[in-house]
Amino acid sequence: MSLVYFKNVSKSYHGNLILDNISFEIENGEFVSLVGRSGVGKTTILKLLIREEKPTKGRIFFEDKDINKLKPREVVILRRKIGMIFQDFKLLENKNSFENIAFAMEICGCSDKEIRQDVPELLKLVGLEDKAGNFPYQLSAGEKQRLVIARVLAQRPELILADEPTGNLDPINAWEIIKLLTKINELGTAIILATHDKEIVNSLNKRVISLEHGKIVRDEQEGRYLI
Amino acid sequence: MLNSLKSILRTFWQGAVRNKGLFFACVLMMTFSLVIFSSIFIFRNSTQNLIRVLEEKMDISLYFKKEVPEEDILKIRDELLGYPDIAAVEYVSQEEALKIFEERNKNNPVIQKVLTEIGENPLSASLNIKAKESNKYETIIQEIENSAFKDKLTNVSFTENQKVIARLNHFSQAIELVSALVIILLVILSVIITFNTIRMAIYSLRQEIEIMKLVGASPWFIRGPFLIQGAFQGLVASGLALLILIPLIWWLGPKLENFAPEIGINLYFWSNFGYIILIQTLFGLALGLVSSFLAVNKYLKI
Repeated sequence: MSLVYFKNVSKSYHGNLILDNISFEIENGEFVSLVGRSGVGKTTILKLLIREEKPTKGRIFFEDKDINKLKPREVVILRRKIGMIFQDFKLLENKNSFENIAFAMEICGCSDKEIRQDVPELLKLVGLEDKAGNFPYQLSAGEKQRLVIARVLAQRPELILADEPTGNLDPINAWEIIKLLTKINELGTAIILATHDKEIVNSLNKRVISLEHGKIVRDEQEGRYLI
Repeated sequence: MLNSLKSILRTFWQGAVRNKGLFFACVLMMTFSLVIFSSIFIFRNSTQNLIRVLEEKMDISLYFKKEVPEEDILKIRDELLGYPDIAAVEYVSQEEALKIFEERNKNNPVIQKVLTEIGENPLSASLNIKAKESNKYETIIQEIENSAFKDKLTNVSFTENQKVIARLNHFSQAIELVSALVIILLVILSVIITFNTIRMAIYSLRQEIEIMKLVGASPWFIRGPFLIQGAFQGLVASGLALLILIPLIWWLGPKLENFAPEIGINLYFWSNFGYIILIQTLFGLALGLVSSFLAVNKYLKI
């Protein structure tokens, strides 16, 4: 059973075809880079996976369940199983670092005791143990992205979608984020990294799916960014 | 369940404390709405009290010719009691009428002197009729005019009463209509203003709501803190509205009572204080809850 299965999926916005009949599968624990120029449909694939968008044609399966047939309540559960890392972080501005992570645990029904135990550990894991009381506006871009990763990990997802996670970061912070993601992947969580950063993709030496004009033009294990 | 409830309460409190400006803007608008709502509520109920007092004073007095014997009048009274629109009929004999008249004019020496000079009772026996409803007086008068005992009556007071009754009826209907219209208009206006303030406050948090959705928060988990906040704002606004209403009634009440003593706004306010608090608080709670529910729902579609 594949973790993710895209079957002949097309997506168009106002008659503009973004994805054109694409199919691919992702297994548990895989690390896959989705590469291609801006606007090629990388983010659309991720949005389709968390049901933020619906495909115009085709079917998408997560753990053998057709995502488009999920009821709203099941979509909520799906989003707890798939953690999402955004280029623009999407942190709750009214909550501090501790509370941002705690919120992700609260919505999963974790108790106060569990939250008090896990949040400091997660903050330590991403190197923000001394920033627990800081609000997002008091953090640097790299710190914000690390906080997002901690929030994602708090929900113990089966799959992490990272949409240009290094797009707003300097090279040092970008590499730190990529190192964190590979470490998480080594612990068994599947990761889809959407990026147009050639250097990062080539250094990872993992599976690469290349997109061009809404189609998959290459899908290679230990692939490289060749577009 | 308990964990979720605690989290919702925590999120509500964080939101209220960290967005104080928005929180108090909503509270102020709700307070404004509640002051308008309660003022109208109190004024309307007080004027209804005035109408009740006026209606209680309304009756039809049938004055009988002097030669009509008492047993005939009593028979007519029994006949009148059989009318469906009549609630009560009181018989006032010539002697009782004189006693009442003398009592009423005991400080008027001219009238006392005239009565002594006449030497006999100049007043007629009468039947005082109270209708079940104030708008039935005209029907009753019509029925009396067509009755067999019409010839036993003197006509003068009969016609005068009819005019007063008609005027009072028009007056009470006008008060009812105008106050109902003003209530509806002002309440709608204040609800729209409050709803829009809450909507603007929630609109400013739409990105937070979107993020909550993306990390897997259920609609009720997102909605919960906003609903509690709306209800809490309603409660705070109700308290503030009361703090405004008490001095307002204290200051305005005597002025209105100078103009129309039967209105009794002060008396109505204090004797129905608990009821007014209850109605005002319920209205505040409903306003906060419904506005928040409608405003936040817009962003919760998955």
